[in-house]
Amino acid sequence: MLAIAGTSLLPGFTVIGLVLGGVYALAAIGLVLIFRVSGVLNFAHGAVAMFATFVAYQISVVNGAPGWAGLLVAIAAGAVVGLLVEVLTMRPLAGKPALTKVVVTIGWLLVLQTLAGILWGANAYHRPVQLVSRAGFRFPGTHVVVGYDQLTTVLVALGLALATAAVLRYTTIGTAMRAVADDPAAARLWGINVNRVTAASWMAGSAMAAVAGVLITPLINFDTFSLTVVVIDAFTAALIGRLTSLPWTVVGAMFLGLAQTYPRAFSSQSGLGELVTFGLVLVVLAVLFRPGGRRIRLV
Amino acid sequence: MNAPTSDPALRRAVVLGAVVFAVVAPAVLSNYLRSLAADALISGMIVLSLVVLTGLVGQISFCQYSFAALGAFTVGSLVAGHHWSFWMALIVGTAFAAAGGVLVGIPALRLSGLFLAILTVAVALFFDRFLLAPGTWNAFSGGVEPWRPARPSIAGISLDGSYAFYLFVLAVFLLTSLLVWNLRRGKVGRVLRAIRGSELAAATVGLDLTAWKLAAFGVSAGLAGLAGGLSAVAVGSVSAGSYDFLHSVSVAAVAIVMGVGTVASAAAGGLFLAFGPWLLQHTPLSTQYFNLIVGGLLVLQLVFTPQGLVAHNEQLVLAWRARILARRRAADVSAPPDDLDRPPATDELVTSTEASA
Amino acid sequence: MALLEVEHVSVRFGGVQALDDVSLTLNRGEILGLIGPNGAGKTTLFNCLSGVQRPTSGRVRFEGRSVDGLKPNRRARLGLARTFQNLQLFSDLTVLENLMVPVDAFSPRGLVADGLRLPRARIEERRADERARAVLHFLGIGSLATTPAGGLPVGLQRRVELGRALCLRPKLLLLDEPAAGLDAGETAGLAALLSRVRERFSTSMLLVDHDMALVMRACEHIYVLDYGRVIASGAPSVVRDDSRVVQAYLGRGAA
Repeated sequence: MLAIAGTSLLPGFTVIGLVLGGVYALAAIGLVLIFRVSGVLNFAHGAVAMFATFVAYQISVVNGAPGWAGLLVAIAAGAVVGLLVEVLTMRPLAGKPALTKVVVTIGWLLVLQTLAGILWGANAYHRPVQLVSRAGFRFPGTHVVVGYDQLTTVLVALGLALATAAVLRYTTIGTAMRAVADDPAAARLWGINVNRVTAASWMAGSAMAAVAGVLITPLINFDTFSLTVVVIDAFTAALIGRLTSLPWTVVGAMFLGLAQTYPRAFSSQSGLGELVTFGLVLVVLAVLFRPGGRRIRLV
Repeated sequence: MNAPTSDPALRRAVVLGAVVFAVVAPAVLSNYLRSLAADALISGMIVLSLVVLTGLVGQISFCQYSFAALGAFTVGSLVAGHHWSFWMALIVGTAFAAAGGVLVGIPALRLSGLFLAILTVAVALFFDRFLLAPGTWNAFSGGVEPWRPARPSIAGISLDGSYAFYLFVLAVFLLTSLLVWNLRRGKVGRVLRAIRGSELAAATVGLDLTAWKLAAFGVSAGLAGLAGGLSAVAVGSVSAGSYDFLHSVSVAAVAIVMGVGTVASAAAGGLFLAFGPWLLQHTPLSTQYFNLIVGGLLVLQLVFTPQGLVAHNEQLVLAWRARILARRRAADVSAPPDDLDRPPATDELVTSTEASA
Repeated sequence: MALLEVEHVSVRFGGVQALDDVSLTLNRGEILGLIGPNGAGKTTLFNCLSGVQRPTSGRVRFEGRSVDGLKPNRRARLGLARTFQNLQLFSDLTVLENLMVPVDAFSPRGLVADGLRLPRARIEERRADERARAVLHFLGIGSLATTPAGGLPVGLQRRVELGRALCLRPKLLLLDEPAAGLDAGETAGLAALLSRVRERFSTSMLLVDHDMALVMRACEHIYVLDYGRVIASGAPSVVRDDSRVVQAYLGRGAA
């Protein structure tokens, strides 16, 4: 009985899973971009997304501005926070071990998390920023209704992924970023302003986190903590892409979104998503990060 | 670098003074402040668990409170649910946590510090949202109603009173600190520092890297589990919210701010974690600001004094004392070799890792 | 009976044949030399012997017993010690502590004895300290005991590595370019030191070095590696005059 009821839910859950995956992809791409260019695994990535999302909430929900205005301000807020993290704390730590920088991002996580809690309330319910109407259409040939907001989320995620890849491959700043990622010292010799490129990657990556945060809030609990820990889902997707490959990161994110969603068709047990994430992290770390494993390049 | 302080007499005097103060001072405090002091010692033990893991092995962990939860929920479940004696439950809980630490340590054998950090975040969230969530394993987590384990008694003296319980926790804290102190300055500390220096050389001089690393993970998690078991009866109820990811993050932050290179930072870190929020209540700010301060301190500390506050101040004291001595015996005093005994900076403690992949 | 027998050992890294069917025998009490141009596979052979690298094929026997598949720490326990071409000291530790670690590795004391400071822990600590100091004294660097190992000049670091290996009481000492980074005077002293080490510690040695003079002086028997293969072996005078050896060195100008 239960299993039958469960399987009949699968098509609808596929849509939800892909939307969730799209958001994870967006967050993970920002993470990978920052990691590749600056070598820092940003544990505060989710916190940056959370903070920017609350800025959007302030603009659009509290002050009643249109959703897109909130989104734009959130993107700007994300970029500014990313810039501050890089200029104030990463640049002075140049040459320090990667783990030291990771611990600094943990400090930022605490700061942003607590600050948002103080400004907007740590555990209160917040109405998410609604960018697109929740109305939907029936997917041709099925009973599945797809919301316009859901469709927008997936399209934006894929679009930004493609745009990032295109920027990295075809533009000057993208080429500079790839050069810095490969070898900062050599890049400097080529006359590339490494500081500026690194700062740009932090701004772009954090802005993507902001978009991801605004898009994900209708899907999860919109509170400070849930958004901050989205970072682990972004990590999982990024790990599937070995922290380097954008296409594999997107695939990993979609896979993670689906894998977290499908079990919910069969069980109402809470925390199944975290169980899936945990299992995936273990498997990916065990399989992909063997010493001497094959390496994949960015784009 | 046998000991973090180069002057044993000074150290002995400071430790003795601190212990006497710790025994006497709470006698005049209110019940509330005494329970806060007990909390400080329990948090201090969790900082101590990071002194082992981060200070000796060079791994950072963001799931120490998950190990504490293993201890706490084992005690809660066995004492409140199955009517075990507290002592047996505490031993089982500590062992359970140590086993959990070994399990987390297994992937760490092959992963660099960065990836282990990600893994510990996943572990913490797995505990928060799944293992300890109502409905997953109610015999362990207690379901929706938290476990309410009663405090034990020692030799007929009940620990229900706040001062008696405080003294009991103080005794456990001092014993575990002594244990870690001994480990650090003996063979175990030397071997673990050697492994951190060069795994290749350590293996070729006959050290079993696997066994040593797992042992360190086990000891660290066991300490956290012991602290968790104590906290179960300190609070009197066990609920998942007290052991969540943010607690783990802030204890890791405090440990690093205080400096994971010294045992003394466990006491300082514990006091800070317990009394910091309380002090904030008496300022225009509220307890909410505590983690903001912790995070800010962590960032500032790593950028400015990478050895940690306790080690930093200790050095200031030593340097000041050396100056006085030098002035007194101006003739043939050579400056003490303080860089010999200088605790390693945080970025030397954490294993560096190649960013390129 | 030979102390060390290497039988048909080969190592491939992807498309590179680092070692190709290498066989050699080392007798008890012998100082065996191993020379060859850069990239000839000398360090790879050392890695195979100490258990750091697993050979693609072939066997290694130590004291007549196969050590294939044994991890480095197990081989160390059997009496195989080594030094490293690119120094691998425990740089956080003092010189004395560096030498105590191998003694620690063999002592039975563990977490319990150390944590509770049982009498056994103190006895073992003193024993490790004494052994390490004795070796330091023998090597003439006793005054460096409390110096952090990481900051020493290369020559002294090499000597500390030698001391650390000796603290294992090795039956066989694998020395990977002990003269690299030493000046002419130090190198001359090294040959004398090595023969004193052999007498005092009754150990055998396998010596890899670029410095032909050192190897010729210290060793009774020499193997020559080139492109992963043994191209010559014999007494120093024989090897020196072997045309293939001369060609291997002169042909690539890497003497």
